[in-house]
Amino acid sequence: MSAPTVAFKAGRLFRRGDTNWVDPQPEKGVVLVTATEDGLIQWQWKNRTTNALDEDLLIFPSDTTFSQVAQSAWGRTYVLAFSSSDQKHFDASSARDDQIVHNVNGVLQDASFEPTWSTPAASSSSAAAAGSSRDDTLRRLREILTRGGSASAAGLTVEPPSVALSDVLTPANLAPIFADEALARSLFPFLPADLPSPPTPATLQQVVSSPQFQAAVRELDRALSTGLLADLVRGLGLPASAGESAEAFIRAVAEQAGSGGEERMDTD
Amino acid sequence: MSGDDDSSGWQLTESDPGVFSELLRTLGVPLVVDELWSMDPDGLAILQPISAFIFLFKYVAGSSDASGGAGGAFDPDFPGFFAHQTVNNACATLAVVNALGNIDTEMGKDIKDTLEFARELDPQSRGMVLVSSLFLREAHNALSPPSVISLDGLNLPKRTEDAYHFVVYLPVAGSLYELDGLKPHAVRHAPVPSSGDWTSIAAETIQARIATYPPGAIHFSLMAVRPDPLPMLQAQLVANPADEVLLARMAQEEEKRQRWAFENALRKANHLPLIHALVGALAKSGGLDAAVAGAKEKMRQRRARGQDMDED
Repeated sequence: MSAPTVAFKAGRLFRRGDTNWVDPQPEKGVVLVTATEDGLIQWQWKNRTTNALDEDLLIFPSDTTFSQVAQSAWGRTYVLAFSSSDQKHFDASSARDDQIVHNVNGVLQDASFEPTWSTPAASSSSAAAAGSSRDDTLRRLREILTRGGSASAAGLTVEPPSVALSDVLTPANLAPIFADEALARSLFPFLPADLPSPPTPATLQQVVSSPQFQAAVRELDRALSTGLLADLVRGLGLPASAGESAEAFIRAVAEQAGSGGEERMDTD
Repeated sequence: MSGDDDSSGWQLTESDPGVFSELLRTLGVPLVVDELWSMDPDGLAILQPISAFIFLFKYVAGSSDASGGAGGAFDPDFPGFFAHQTVNNACATLAVVNALGNIDTEMGKDIKDTLEFARELDPQSRGMVLVSSLFLREAHNALSPPSVISLDGLNLPKRTEDAYHFVVYLPVAGSLYELDGLKPHAVRHAPVPSSGDWTSIAAETIQARIATYPPGAIHFSLMAVRPDPLPMLQAQLVANPADEVLLARMAQEEEKRQRWAFENALRKANHLPLIHALVGALAKSGGLDAAVAGAKEKMRQRRARGQDMDED
């Protein structure tokens, strides 16, 4: 086999199931991008500890692009994106990123590409330049993903949720509400219609602590993290933007609550 | 939805005695299901008479699934009712129907007609008839949360929680039989006395089965299917209104039914309006800002620990 055209040290990240999360793997490795005799490109990841070729792909020219998608504590993250499918490979690399990207893409476009390496660049490009090219890539990735039409194409969350409803609606946080007679009573109409006995503040407590309710909150959190719930929240009288995230939902509901419509709490 | 579509419209339900009992009630069957914590004769005595046992288990992730569960002999000439499981999500209901097909009990017209029709068929066809039964599927689905949030367009990860596997044990024609919808035939175990206690033989057989699994390899549960004791208790109380033991048992049964009804109501409910109302109430009470601040901090810490909030 011919020598690799481009090689660089990298770890891998795996998408967790079908979720939007990727987990970095601890193994140190190296990505080897090699031109094959038939003009195809071989993409391999070799484990530097075991020397095993844990990944070995044959790629057609122009079928893939290699782009940076995120900066994070464990290094810069790249995705090898296939234009013809939902398949995505993730690598984290820490050195000479721009040149790597340039050269890798060069080979991916055309197997006979000759990489060029300038003298080792400063370890980190200027914040502004890195920032803007990263933003561009993120935007581009988002476009690709939305064009793809399904969130399952997203291998990486671009905006992880800042807050979870299940951490807000805890029995502890809600206890003061249940202790307030008027406020508690205002919630009874929202309880399931077919409870075996008439609701009391204690019922509220039981419902909120139940596995069924907590599962529903978690489900809503997951759905909100896709940012695609505009239709659903409109049904609750909220603006479409409330469906973009848990935080947006909470803020919109708070505004809705503050803007009157409901009896105020000052019944004493 | 991608991949998971052998569900054929059957939703995943919880495996809970309250769910099973409600299913039976919907089918017009005067039997209830109770969870068992042990199979010692004294514990079982309170529940007698028992019509069938349901043994449910699932493999703990990582343990091999090849071992365990063998014993008894396949009986291709099983004289009773046995249907194959053809849809995963329907497994609980299928087990209940396999039991019903062999228990002498009243039942509603729909299930009665379906069983009669299916009786003439082979196990595989029976299984298909059952999963194609609209009334059965509706009774089954009635106990899972309504899909309020259309998950299709969002491509949320399917919660692929492995369903429990259900196996029914009951006496038929003088022997203890094991009905496992994933096995080709009913399995005959030991003979049981035609009158008298079959449950101790079943207890031994089930305990022997449990012992074949490496420790920690499975999560399991045992349930007993039995005639609803309430009507009988009520009748007895009419005759002996001051009987302490009867009164205590009655209270116990009623408390259990209340709990089941509460849980089932929660299962069927759309919680979105309540969630919405709670956030609003927090805002009105002035507690929302603190709650959100605390929640954000929790999220930050979780992320710092490298955890995913999707973990349950």
